[in-house]
Amino acid sequence: MSQNHNVVAAAESLIQEHFEQDPHLEKVIWIDPNQTKEIRLLEITPETFPAGAVLSFYFPPDEELPYAMKIAEIRPEEWQQILRNEIPLPDGWTLENYKTYSRETITV
Amino acid sequence: MTDWQNWRTAFLRQARSDWDAYQKTVEFEWPSCHRLHYLQMATEKLSKALLVAGDTKLENLTGTHAAFVNFIRIICNNRKLKNILGMKRSQQMAHFNQLLPLAHEIELLAPALAQNGPNPEYPWKDASGNVLAPTDHPFRLIQQLQKTRQGIQLLKHIDIFLKRFEELFM
Repeated sequence: MSQNHNVVAAAESLIQEHFEQDPHLEKVIWIDPNQTKEIRLLEITPETFPAGAVLSFYFPPDEELPYAMKIAEIRPEEWQQILRNEIPLPDGWTLENYKTYSRETITV
Repeated sequence: MTDWQNWRTAFLRQARSDWDAYQKTVEFEWPSCHRLHYLQMATEKLSKALLVAGDTKLENLTGTHAAFVNFIRIICNNRKLKNILGMKRSQQMAHFNQLLPLAHEIELLAPALAQNGPNPEYPWKDASGNVLAPTDHPFRLIQQLQKTRQGIQLLKHIDIFLKRFEELFM
């Protein structure tokens, strides 16, 4: 099984879990899915406070999930601002390659 | 160490130092404003130690005091906490959600977020036009932190996060 296949399975399982456990979660953006060492997620929810910036937290890998995670919660309007380049992404993150997941489309 | 690791170490060291100062203010029963000032600074820098590791831009860290609420909202994603707290992610979400109002009150202590209202550092004018000094203000929050279940739990978690940072977050 390739590294990329493993990280895809892990990330999508994680995203599904987040949708199942958080009824307010609207969308999850997986930034740079070709990364095989870490999973970078933007989680879009109206429940979070507007920060006007992408505050991405680091979570280390563990035995269950052997990939580092970097996760930021943003509000729906902040996602639109990111798409318009009005709010920059964290250092090293780009929108050149990303996947969008919604409650309806997530399939694992 | 890389540059971001140096920043993480520095934020963590300062957060621990602020937390130590907070503990001393409790021990010697300093005025609430000083206790809350150190608590607010410890929580902000703890959060920023994780943000700098998450690629968050440095200018976003130095330009804002709002980080602790986001940290508490998202902490349930730390799988290593599961073993320490003995809770699944969904249970952790519910647990930390009930601590959010107090986390928010701590975050709002930063003068820049206090909107010219009560804060532990600078005088402010109240609705009646009286100019008040933080040292004279009773700060109900200190009672909430020390006397309510949520407050006690939140302080206990902050202590664990700071003392076991390397095990939990690195």
